[in-house]
Amino acid sequence: MSLLSGWWDDFFFGLLMVLRIFAVALVLAVALGLLGASAKLSGSRVLRTVAQGYTVVFRGTPELLVLLLFYFGMALTLTWIARLFDPSVQFVDLPPFWAGSIAIGLIVGAYMTETFRGAFLGVDRGQIEAARALSLKPHQVFWYVRIPQMWRLALPNFGNHMLSIMKDTALISIIGLEEILFVAKMANSVLHRPFTLYVIVAIIYLAMTTVITWAVGQLEVRANRHVRGAR
Amino acid sequence: MSFDISLIGSSLPRILQGLGLTLNLLAVSTLLGLMLAVLILLMRLSGRSWLVWPAKAYIYFFRGTPLLVQLFIIYYGLPQFGFVRQSVLWPLLREPYWCSVIALSLNTAAYVSEILRGGVMGVDKGLTEAGKALGLTRFQRATRITAPLAVRLALPAYSNEIVSMLKSTALASTVTLMEMTGVARTIVANTFAPYEIFIAATIIYLVLVWIIQTAFSMAETYANRHVRKG
Amino acid sequence: MTDIIVLENVNKYYGTYQALRDVNLSIAKGEKVVVCGPSGSGKSTMIRCINRLEEHDSGRISVNGLELSDDEKKVETIRREVGMVFQSFNLFPHMTILQNLTLAPRLVHGKSRPEAEEIAMKYLTRVRIPDQANKYPSQLSGGQQQRVAIARALCMNPKVMLFDEPTSALDPEMISEVLDVMTDLAREGMTMICVTHEMGFARSVADRIVFMDNGEIIETAVPLDFFASPRTERAKAFLGQILAH
Repeated sequence: MSLLSGWWDDFFFGLLMVLRIFAVALVLAVALGLLGASAKLSGSRVLRTVAQGYTVVFRGTPELLVLLLFYFGMALTLTWIARLFDPSVQFVDLPPFWAGSIAIGLIVGAYMTETFRGAFLGVDRGQIEAARALSLKPHQVFWYVRIPQMWRLALPNFGNHMLSIMKDTALISIIGLEEILFVAKMANSVLHRPFTLYVIVAIIYLAMTTVITWAVGQLEVRANRHVRGAR
Repeated sequence: MSFDISLIGSSLPRILQGLGLTLNLLAVSTLLGLMLAVLILLMRLSGRSWLVWPAKAYIYFFRGTPLLVQLFIIYYGLPQFGFVRQSVLWPLLREPYWCSVIALSLNTAAYVSEILRGGVMGVDKGLTEAGKALGLTRFQRATRITAPLAVRLALPAYSNEIVSMLKSTALASTVTLMEMTGVARTIVANTFAPYEIFIAATIIYLVLVWIIQTAFSMAETYANRHVRKG
Repeated sequence: MTDIIVLENVNKYYGTYQALRDVNLSIAKGEKVVVCGPSGSGKSTMIRCINRLEEHDSGRISVNGLELSDDEKKVETIRREVGMVFQSFNLFPHMTILQNLTLAPRLVHGKSRPEAEEIAMKYLTRVRIPDQANKYPSQLSGGQQQRVAIARALCMNPKVMLFDEPTSALDPEMISEVLDVMTDLAREGMTMICVTHEMGFARSVADRIVFMDNGEIIETAVPLDFFASPRTERAKAFLGQILAH
């Protein structure tokens, strides 16, 4: 590993970048997923149609295409807006960090929408009736009965979506963000050891996905502790 | 900022020039991936630890790392070794097309073998027991009872995997291939009209997704024709 | 004696299917009524209308002098006075027995946790399973779960208890433990409406039997008369089937 001397700190900061994107994209995806699921289950036809369009487009388009559209498109839009205020502006860039996290958040939010919607519908109707018969208010039924039970149903898919976010961060190297795959490319231009470097990147990702899988497993054990036997 | 709707229309035919390569990548990798997936599945189900563990490690690696990194290891990484450059496979491994096919196939095989395993696990134990009681051999039970039922159970997830493969073919553009996303990126570089061009490409992908999903839902209806609607 | 529940000309439709036809029924405070009839006869629909798990389409339903309407506040007030026990228990699987029992008292009555737990333990003792308080529903037998469900409803100190086929989902050997608890409750003077096919329970506990078929109340009688000499052919046929085994 003496090969990498002088590059360790670059990989370390690359990894921090990956984790930051992961965090921003995850928060965005969960928020969009909850919004999308509520819209799909709402009584409003307009909201349902908008949510349906959102999930169809973002689940059907290649992640790379969404990212490129967002990065280049937003740069164009931001430049146009900036010129409204100051015509001398040449070019405004949306930082790759934000273009990347927003694009990934939007994509995975579409998957989360379907997961949350399914989990919401998966909660037994009798549970809700029992809560209402005990005269709980609608918001109490939601927080004390629906959410805890839907969480258990949503967890396995939720874990997969977290893995998707983690793996999708590699795409952002394409628009020039200095995360680990980008660092490996840079290092390779000096060291000419592409296999070694990209395998190191793979191992770092494997470590991250392993941690996520383990953490979700722990949460599942916790969420299922009241269910007797194996499902 | 100008948004030129007619540019979407006029760029469609140019992007469609990449359609052939996109479909080619999809079809070849799906087929190779499926064959490999069945092999891995059989290893996992064999019950012999020297077969089970390699299969598990394979699935763990390919599902746990980004496809883009796998592609880079194969395309940029392998030539690091002299023996690769001297091997009989070199004419294939220096081609971005074959590197993409290999990466896509290896990647999808890991997912598909898990999907198929889910199908096998979902088959009611009572049915295989009934097969035993009728005196069917292990092989007969696998091919006549477990496999047909498992395929039916796995179809919906498999259709999602094909859609996901279609989307993954876009990554081939990062190793210079001119499939649809590659073509779209080239046009954007020349015209700098990212919205119009990328939206045009998106429309084509969405149509393809729709075709895949429709085909699979017809296949599911056919496969479940003997199941009475509840 | 005042009537605590009054149904007047209640009609209920599912699409074009009429589930309740001109149902009239008054129940006095402290009265125990058993509702029976073939499946699909509207028994469950009727009692589910009483705490508005279903909305009736016409007619009037009033509970303790309050008429049911779309007014959410009123519905909540009525639900506070009416406890319900379901066929499928509907215990919350993600909460322990004690949490199941204390949830509504704490959220709805604003009781403190120690207070709510004290009440919960009192009722768990009454249904004879105080030792299961910290288990999850899935760790209990069906009969125990249903007794917990009864205790959960009682914790709200209801004036009326509705039972919707409380023993239909139970294995035969567990039915009596649930019926015993219900019988105790009846002796203590609770107003009860039970949809059930347990005719032994009906005979010994009910003040009145209501026989329904096809969404209508066909016959109302004291148990002795109903079992000895049902007035209608439909009730006769029904009893013949039920008592055959």
